[in-house]
Amino acid sequence: MTAYPPPRHLLWDLQLRFDHGDGASRATMPVVPGLCGDDGQLRAGALTTLVDVISGGLAAVTAQPNWIATADLTLHMTRGASTGAVEANARVLRAGRTTVVIEIDVVDGGGALVALATASFAVLPRRDINPDINRVREAGAPGTAAPDSGLTMPYGERLGITVVDAAHGVVEVPVTDWARNSMGAFQGGAVGAVLEAAAEAALRDASGAPLVVTDIHATYLNFGKVGPLRTRSVVHTADDQRGVARVELIDTGAESRLMTVARIVATRSLP
Amino acid sequence: MTVVEEVTRYVGVELHEEDDGRIVGHVDLADHLRGPDGAARPGTLLTMLDSAGGLCAGLAALPEGWVVSTNLAARFVAPARVGPIRMEAAVSRVGRNNVVATVAISDEGTGVLVADGVLTSAILVPEQGPPQWTRPLVLGRERAPEPQPMLTEWLQVRTVDGGVEMPLDEIYRNPWGIMHGGIVGMLVDLAAGGRTTDVVLHFLAPNRVGPVRATARPLGTRSDGTVQRVDVRDVGADRVTAVAIVSSS
Repeated sequence: MTAYPPPRHLLWDLQLRFDHGDGASRATMPVVPGLCGDDGQLRAGALTTLVDVISGGLAAVTAQPNWIATADLTLHMTRGASTGAVEANARVLRAGRTTVVIEIDVVDGGGALVALATASFAVLPRRDINPDINRVREAGAPGTAAPDSGLTMPYGERLGITVVDAAHGVVEVPVTDWARNSMGAFQGGAVGAVLEAAAEAALRDASGAPLVVTDIHATYLNFGKVGPLRTRSVVHTADDQRGVARVELIDTGAESRLMTVARIVATRSLP
Repeated sequence: MTVVEEVTRYVGVELHEEDDGRIVGHVDLADHLRGPDGAARPGTLLTMLDSAGGLCAGLAALPEGWVVSTNLAARFVAPARVGPIRMEAAVSRVGRNNVVATVAISDEGTGVLVADGVLTSAILVPEQGPPQWTRPLVLGRERAPEPQPMLTEWLQVRTVDGGVEMPLDEIYRNPWGIMHGGIVGMLVDLAAGGRTTDVVLHFLAPNRVGPVRATARPLGTRSDGTVQRVDVRDVGADRVTAVAIVSSS
């Protein structure tokens, strides 16, 4: 089996550092310009990647010897972050026979809450293709990133997101090795960045205001392994202060199978 | 199994099964379901969402099992002021362990979408086996007599430090003997101030003993309102039973 993550991977380029303990985990991510929006603040879609990695790791540790699949992920931002690093702390809310629920708070360098997130995981019987979580824990340890890793362009651009139809919130993204998870599918946290791009395009078009995504609730239905992935969006409401959209993500290369349904909130600004 | 739960009678939920597996429901917007602003309380809308989504998911889990709610999320898009209220639930995915159902709630009097929600349920095999239904299913034609007490009175809610508390009387329990998920939603909304615009609610453990207490903690204030974390606790069992993140206007 090829080592995961490969040398060129978003986990390295986002410079995530994580430590999965028993019952709690901690991770950090530098706030670099490529992860910030045009308001100069850290994007919600960048935070979903951090949150997905830390919660998935903790859930996998918790569910051992079984394996897990992300069922849903929610993120609510409470303030902006534009410099330094953010720290995510995850804890187990529930470790049941069929479900693991994780809560994650994300704080800035001063300890102020930037976002609160939750993630639910379905517990599945372990299969041979499932990675050894202890090996992943080692791979994610500090100091193992390639020396030239780092994000040198906007995260969405690096993922390859292109806006096809802003008014209808249609964006497309390829499935590349850079963004695959350990199961070979498009990484669940990066899905957040795609959903964010789609909703932001649609809500800005509808409102005429520079709304930024602050809340994401994504329900994962199927993996996206082929690509390109494509969104379709419905704007529920939008004015110059707030907008709400529903976004669906499909894998056009897999008979347009529905991967994710999401509800997204965007607001004018964060404190 | 009790076919019509008390909370279903109180809210006045009527549900029926469509040929394609969708569950469609209606509720007359009676006075006892309205909040101080005259619109349907978000908590009662959550109950409708849980009822329609849960039934839809449960039927999808047959014949192997039935379901319990594990995660309920909704965004309230516009107030429901006229009624009747229409619910439409559809299954998005049936997995080995869980079922995902989406629920749209609209105000038929105005034609606007009121709430867009999703309910995730775990599939379980009850000791007595899954419930037996006559298909296509029709549920809730039996209404409670009018007038009904207002919500806070019916729930016997009292204010406590940082939140609200209610007893766990029989009328608040579902057929499994635990507090109905929709009532947990009502309690979460009340604890957060009753002006919920967005909620994600994780059911962590059943409420079996009572009283049940919900306490809210503000996380931050944004241009569109306040974000709070709400803990629900079975005081008698001394454990946290649900956690919610609530945005309020």
